[in-house]
Amino acid sequence: MRPGHAFVAGYLVLLVAFGIVPTGYGIYFAFTNSANYFSGLSNFTAVARDFRYLPAVGHVALYLLIWLVTLAVFVTGLALVLHQLPARRTSRLVRFLYYIPGALAGAASVMVWLFMLDPTVSPAAPLLRLLGYGTFGQVVQEGHLAILFAMIAFWTGAGGWIVVMYGALNNIPQEVIEAARIDGAGGVQIARRIQIPMLRKWIVYMVILAFAVGTQLFVEPQLISEASVGVAGRDYSLNQLSYDFAFQNNNVNYAAAISVELLVVSLVVAAVFVTRSRFFDAD
Amino acid sequence: MALVIRAVRARSEPRPARGRVVLAVGVAALLAATVAGCGNGSSPGGGSSSGSTKDGFTQAPQSSGPLTVWVDSTRVPAVRAYEKANPDIKINMVLYDGDANGSNTLQTKVELYDRTGTGWPDVVFSAENNEISWTVGAGFTAPLNQGLMPSSFLGNFAAGALDPCTVNGKVYCLRNDMAMDVLWYNATLMKQWGYQVPTTWPQYEQLGEKVATQHPGYLVGNVGDTFTPEIYMWASQCPANQITGLRAVTVNVTTANCTRMASLLDTLVKAGSMSKLGVFSTAFDKKEKGKVLMLPGPAWFGGAVFDSPSGLNTPKGQIAVAPMPQWPGTGTPSTGDVGGGLWLLSAHSRHLNEAVNFLTWVTGNNAYQDNLAPGYPAYTPAATVWLANQAKSGYYASDISTPLQQAAGQVWSGWGYGQFSQEAIWASTIVPGITTGKTIASMLPAWQSSISEHAQADGYTVSSS
Amino acid sequence: MPTDTSAPGTLTRVPGPDARRPQPRRARRPAAAAAQVLPGLLLLAFVVFFVLPVIWLLLAATKTDPQLVQDNPLSFGSWHALRENWDALTGFQGDVILLWLRNSALYASLALVITLAAGIPAGYALAMTEFPGRRLLLITTLVVMLMPATTLVVPLFLEINAVHLIGSLWSVVLPYSFYPFGVYLTYIYFSTALPRDLLDAARIDGATEFAAFRRIALPLAAPVVALVGFFSFVANWTNYFLPYVLLPESNQYPVQVGLGLLLTDVPQFNPTAGTAQVLRPELALATLVAISPVLIVFLFAQRYLIAGLLAGATKQ
Repeated sequence: MRPGHAFVAGYLVLLVAFGIVPTGYGIYFAFTNSANYFSGLSNFTAVARDFRYLPAVGHVALYLLIWLVTLAVFVTGLALVLHQLPARRTSRLVRFLYYIPGALAGAASVMVWLFMLDPTVSPAAPLLRLLGYGTFGQVVQEGHLAILFAMIAFWTGAGGWIVVMYGALNNIPQEVIEAARIDGAGGVQIARRIQIPMLRKWIVYMVILAFAVGTQLFVEPQLISEASVGVAGRDYSLNQLSYDFAFQNNNVNYAAAISVELLVVSLVVAAVFVTRSRFFDAD
Repeated sequence: MALVIRAVRARSEPRPARGRVVLAVGVAALLAATVAGCGNGSSPGGGSSSGSTKDGFTQAPQSSGPLTVWVDSTRVPAVRAYEKANPDIKINMVLYDGDANGSNTLQTKVELYDRTGTGWPDVVFSAENNEISWTVGAGFTAPLNQGLMPSSFLGNFAAGALDPCTVNGKVYCLRNDMAMDVLWYNATLMKQWGYQVPTTWPQYEQLGEKVATQHPGYLVGNVGDTFTPEIYMWASQCPANQITGLRAVTVNVTTANCTRMASLLDTLVKAGSMSKLGVFSTAFDKKEKGKVLMLPGPAWFGGAVFDSPSGLNTPKGQIAVAPMPQWPGTGTPSTGDVGGGLWLLSAHSRHLNEAVNFLTWVTGNNAYQDNLAPGYPAYTPAATVWLANQAKSGYYASDISTPLQQAAGQVWSGWGYGQFSQEAIWASTIVPGITTGKTIASMLPAWQSSISEHAQADGYTVSSS
Repeated sequence: MPTDTSAPGTLTRVPGPDARRPQPRRARRPAAAAAQVLPGLLLLAFVVFFVLPVIWLLLAATKTDPQLVQDNPLSFGSWHALRENWDALTGFQGDVILLWLRNSALYASLALVITLAAGIPAGYALAMTEFPGRRLLLITTLVVMLMPATTLVVPLFLEINAVHLIGSLWSVVLPYSFYPFGVYLTYIYFSTALPRDLLDAARIDGATEFAAFRRIALPLAAPVVALVGFFSFVANWTNYFLPYVLLPESNQYPVQVGLGLLLTDVPQFNPTAGTAQVLRPELALATLVAISPVLIVFLFAQRYLIAGLLAGATKQ
């Protein structure tokens, strides 16, 4: 037995119990029907014929585009800018302030967003009115939802990733940066030629996860749906549809079919990134 | 175990050690098999072992023990009062969200319990009136009129109160309170301006148009709530939600009953005396205080909208109640209903006697329903006392008992409760359109198809006649 | 020449007329000045974006419900209203909010210990050692991490029922302890920041793997332990769905599920909430109470979270 195995033993038990078995079971559900007979792809075709399916695919695709670009660009950018801040205390304070919304994930922020997006009571009312919105209903129109959800997801999620990126930046040996500075490189060049390449693994990890999390969009439309009492955000995403199938129609098979679709898409994207960046190499 | 491992960079791909991988897969398979064996598959109704068929359903073996009751916070006083009145009966009270706002908690949990065959509560309160649409199929609720409860008791509920509970003549739950729609109005303003309280919808429409010109800014109603159809469309006998069986519904919103109401609403929205907002929205709160002349709405509007500091906070002595206007030519008067709440008894309960005792007490006993309950009790004898208590508060401008009592018996039975939520459909289909300025009449076809699609997705056969 | 926004104290050539200026930066042209102000503005703009809703929340807890709607969103309410909101919140079902907080702390802490005990060695081994199945483990972890949780609930429920843990706190703590994201974090940290030479040297000297781990990796691992521990704690603290589904008794709920319960008693969300109304400022206060442990832990952990792994390494 290799020593490596001893190190992973504890984790392996948890992985099997709470990762592999439920996932395997989920995949099993996707290819069987409620009587536990193998049903091939019939769950997938039935789900695709649901009237909410295609709109949900479109919604998630649009959301993903906005979300990934926003996250990758701003998290990396803000982490880099923060890292170049001279005053450490300011840097620490700003990182803390950026992180605070991360504690407000999920149900806790329903009321916050109900008020933030309502031009009659929002602190951002001048901005909302400038954009031409007078009532909450106008702000949560269907066409705005992708942007709203990306904004909320960024609000809660960016802070944590900024902390991670910042820590990763700290791992870049200072001598390398010094040498570049002496050679006359400016902040932007250092970022582009040294820091970002050395953040490669972290950025890949973040994008893979963000992609998967994005395809599984659920919390943001759910909380806007609660805040708007159902006016916006119901059955917006594929994961919400999966949830409805599982718990409103008692149809775990349809729900699993959607989950497997999301899993496959995320895996394909992850595989592309992983192979192109040699992610798994122990370098 | 002092193995020296060389730097791995130069090494080629390690061969997967089949031993470890096989072991991991084997463990996984073993666990999966165990889980599959212990779970009861997906059969609904889960197995209660040997049970006898009595009172119309298979009863689990009875035992003594605490009664598990699930309630929302508003019903907690009911449980406390019961415990006080019956100290020998142990209650295990679990606080949950009451299934409100379409959270679907009850169904989620019951379905999980059905798979494992254990864990169901004995008694559940639900704020959603459509529980029966799935509980009967899942075998979760016990029929109450097949021997568990005397017909004398069940007969004392208001006419139509037990409709959401009834399937094929069997009553599967008890109604907690009635939320019938009435016409709320500001008696002071009406008198001041010399208006008559309308008794027909055409009169209501005329008054609305008059108010829009003579007193712009004042409201006679609103259309922006999710339960708006349950006020106006239901009262107009619009067949948008005619549940004809456990999985069958008739939907036809292009008939006259619906279009007449749609056109009335559109006229008044255009005139400006009908608000596009919901009564609980912050915009409504901010703008409409003191500006509400009339407001058709359910019985609980009194406490929740008018007499509430976080609502309109209308001063004492101004608000009164009139019967809902009627369309000329309608035979028996009809009105709608928004909410009410149900008490369910689990068919898997092992403490049926205690559960029946509790249910009888909590719906019919004056100690709770009259003194502590916020809503108009569905149990008629309790309702009479409740109304008397409300009158004592001195908040209303005139007697509210008569119109409320009348309305309680006039809820149109052609609007049912399906598993799909009419409120969610109106909210996501119609309200956004109203916000952008579309007329309700123009959105009726969209409403029709939305209801049909949602109903079919939930397994309903939709017919249009 | 590109503009320089270097920190004072680092070596910078400052030629030309700027040498006479007091600040050590090259701020020759207005464009250069803008380039220094721009990052600051950017950071400030995002500070407003992230913090404005939180400030609103803080102020909301000090108001009465009518004030929340009528007054300026960023006005302070009153200490009296704050006191009333606190009393109403603790009065809700008899201080149950404090019980919920205690539950959250218990579940998150227990899970944290198990996560670290299992995850840190695993991440280290994945990064620093070679063993058969290493890549398979990484791939499997990734696959499992990407599977949507909706479908996992039913099998998880059945599993936990099979070992008779439904209703026990372990039904929540054990699933929480499975934290593949943390293992990956550890993997990336060790693989990018721990110099192989240190380990190779130890191995050549005859140290066992375990000794190498204990003597070299672990002392340097404080940042990643803090990172994984913190994220695990927060993920478990804010987890809603798992405890919502698995815990049968309301006095076992963590504070996140409790918040959801409070939300359904707000009349604006659920008009049928009669006598047990939770007003919106009360909910705001409850939200603040629910998130403060996370923020306090973050404040303490920040120092460790961002320090580089090499901060404590001895140079060779």
